[in-house]
Amino acid sequence: MRVNEELCIGCGSCVPYCPMGCINLDGKAQIDLDECVECGVCFRSKVCPVDAIYEGELDELRLFRKTFSDPWIVHPSTNVPGRGTEEMKTNEVTGRFKRGYTGIAIELGRPGTGTRFYDVEKIAKACAAFGVEFEPQNPVTAIMSDKKTGKIDERFMNEKTLSAIVEFTAPNDKVVDILKSVKEASKELSTVASLEVCCRREPDGSLPMEELAKKAGFTPSLNGKVNVGLGRPLAKEE
Amino acid sequence: MTHTLHRRGSAESLADDFVVFAIAAQGFNAEGAAKKFEKFFDIVKKYNPNNFGDMRTGNSLVAGEDVIRKSFKDNSIVHAVFNDEDTVTKVLKELKEADLGLSIVVSGLVHKTDECCKKVGLEMHTVEKSLGIIGNTPRLPDESILEVTTMCGHGMIAFNLVKKLADDVKKGRTSPNKAAKEIAKQCVCGVVNIPRVERLIKAMAS
Ligand code: SF4
Ligand code: SF4
Repeated sequence: MRVNEELCIGCGSCVPYCPMGCINLDGKAQIDLDECVECGVCFRSKVCPVDAIYEGELDELRLFRKTFSDPWIVHPSTNVPGRGTEEMKTNEVTGRFKRGYTGIAIELGRPGTGTRFYDVEKIAKACAAFGVEFEPQNPVTAIMSDKKTGKIDERFMNEKTLSAIVEFTAPNDKVVDILKSVKEASKELSTVASLEVCCRREPDGSLPMEELAKKAGFTPSLNGKVNVGLGRPLAKEE
Repeated sequence: MTHTLHRRGSAESLADDFVVFAIAAQGFNAEGAAKKFEKFFDIVKKYNPNNFGDMRTGNSLVAGEDVIRKSFKDNSIVHAVFNDEDTVTKVLKELKEADLGLSIVVSGLVHKTDECCKKVGLEMHTVEKSLGIIGNTPRLPDESILEVTTMCGHGMIAFNLVKKLADDVKKGRTSPNKAAKEIAKQCVCGVVNIPRVERLIKAMAS
């Protein structure tokens, strides 16, 4: 995003709206383009009284930032708006997460700090060491140059986005070790990450992921997302 | 994508925070889903959600009801925010009867959501939970700010905006309701719980 300095009156109204805190006021507003993730919040908020904020031309790398940061963009790899996938939201129809498996997602840069892709790679590599298969319908997987090792395409390593999600499904017997390894790898991050797990409800009402998460030293949240099973047609159970 | 997960707060703070939303599965049942979203929207709107929106169009405050209603697409994700489980139970009952074939997801306290499901003869199918925040956590602001900002999972609500608006409320420059609405406007999907933000901002300002 850019500021037309001829129009800007230096009122500072836009400054607090930027989730990355990258609009500086030095007489006039200036956007630090290295930190700006092209999320569009400053523009969409319509807070500028003189319409000085504009997007301008975006080259390939700026567009890359935007596709991961602006929820209006639909990813070609998923046909889903936003930077992630349908994950468990449609699980009764897709059958993506089966009994005996746990879905794991690590969202780098969330909440509110943003992420560079060298940090995304650190987590992806830690998970890849367990032979996980990264979710194919996910924009982070789409930019891995090696999906076996979690290596991210060199071109994007230093790019910053609002967040990026490393996502895969793992058999339950590997989950504790993977979660522990993710926690260990997270010590090397310059940013934060939000971690989540999902699973099918067992016929007795239990959620195996909860025990696995506890064994790995985590406390599952009291709140969460519940797919209530109304989608049709239902996926076949194996 | 996990836009309504990772909302932070104690059980007490989350007790009035439920999001019900509908989504179709691309490549499975998405063709023609736009019409079904209209029906979903009619049902949730009857129960006076405090906020609503379609991820493809915008939220109740910026896009508004009429534009949202006219704009459903096969890959829409349509949300409505409620404050109590009785209403969520009624909404689920009606959605079950309508049998739209869309996936319906409830975001909120899981044991309460489980109770809502049981009351209307539904079973939780798949559940997702947050295991919290890892990594360089000293970069994060106070928990009170996170409770507000994590209501928008896409990260559209800046920590600084919450701080500024809480300060404005404290100094009498704006009201908690206006501040909450300004915050909710930033969240494209319409999943910010406006009364909850109002309550949290009031507490921060006092
Ligand atoms: S596009 Fe987003 S990150 Fe860039 S200056 Fe605007 S609000 Fe900040
Ligand atoms: S809101 Fe507009 S006029 Fe005010 S500082 Fe920002 S860009 Fe300049």
